[in-house]
Amino acid sequence: MSSSFDQMIVTEEWESTDLSLLETLDHVLNRGLVIAGEITIAVADIDLIFVGLNVLVSSVETAHEVLRKRQTE
Amino acid sequence: MKLYAYCLVEDLDAFDPTTRGISGAAVRSLQIDDLAVLVSDFNADTVAVTKENALDHAAVVRSVLDRTAPLPFRFGTLVTGQQLRSYISARKPALQTRFEHVRGCVEMSVKIIREISTDNETPRDDITSGTSFLEEKRLALLGSEQKAAEATEISTWLHEQVNGLIRDEQATVRSSEKLVLAAAHLVERDKIPQYKERLAAARKNRPELHFLFSGPWPPYSFANIELEFKTQFGVS
Repeated sequence: MSSSFDQMIVTEEWESTDLSLLETLDHVLNRGLVIAGEITIAVADIDLIFVGLNVLVSSVETAHEVLRKRQTE
Repeated sequence: MKLYAYCLVEDLDAFDPTTRGISGAAVRSLQIDDLAVLVSDFNADTVAVTKENALDHAAVVRSVLDRTAPLPFRFGTLVTGQQLRSYISARKPALQTRFEHVRGCVEMSVKIIREISTDNETPRDDITSGTSFLEEKRLALLGSEQKAAEATEISTWLHEQVNGLIRDEQATVRSSEKLVLAAAHLVERDKIPQYKERLAAARKNRPELHFLFSGPWPPYSFANIELEFKTQFGVS
């Protein structure tokens, strides 16, 4: 569906695709309405980008570090 | 069978029935009172946290954003129809207050990263006296106070930049981290161009900071009804 509210990711030096995913994860995993006791996620099959969930969603700084390492490899 | 819940909407016509959800599942609109919940039938007991599932969840919530401001559920919300009905029925006034708050708005995200000097944080191995130890502690404390003051200044500065253009703000200040500020702004749709211009100009005035702007998002950060619920029912 086309949208008149296309998402923007503005940044200085990071890859916007990865950051767009990070921002999406930050929103869907950390925020929103919660029905107490009814969040039933399984983290065994994580295939999120690069690293573990907690590290990933907690900090854009982490993404910065990961991307920097990837660029030097 | 359980239901995977994506979001609540006021506008029952906002939903596109061709939308696909988690793992390609069909999405349907479940009407409860005068609200609708976008749901998919779900057979498992848990939802795997995968990139694909997270993006599917976000896509369903986002699919109605052009027409209405939804209240998104957090990823992984699995419920029965009865649980959903009880939840909405028990919290109707709080949910209505939230809908009124976000109506006509989208969420914009600003993250600010700063470089932190670690000069005062590196433990010294040449401390030989109690006086030196105390001096080291004093410097560390001063460093931490300075970081807190800087973080507060950045938060206040950002708020001033968008003042008059936002309906609400949720800001998380982390004075000891490089990611010093994560802010979510609730912005009326017709003010988005002005909001973007204001931030673009503001960013140029702070070359020492790194910025990440993103949006528009559904109002994930403004969906929480706990505050209203506590106010109305005295529940803590």
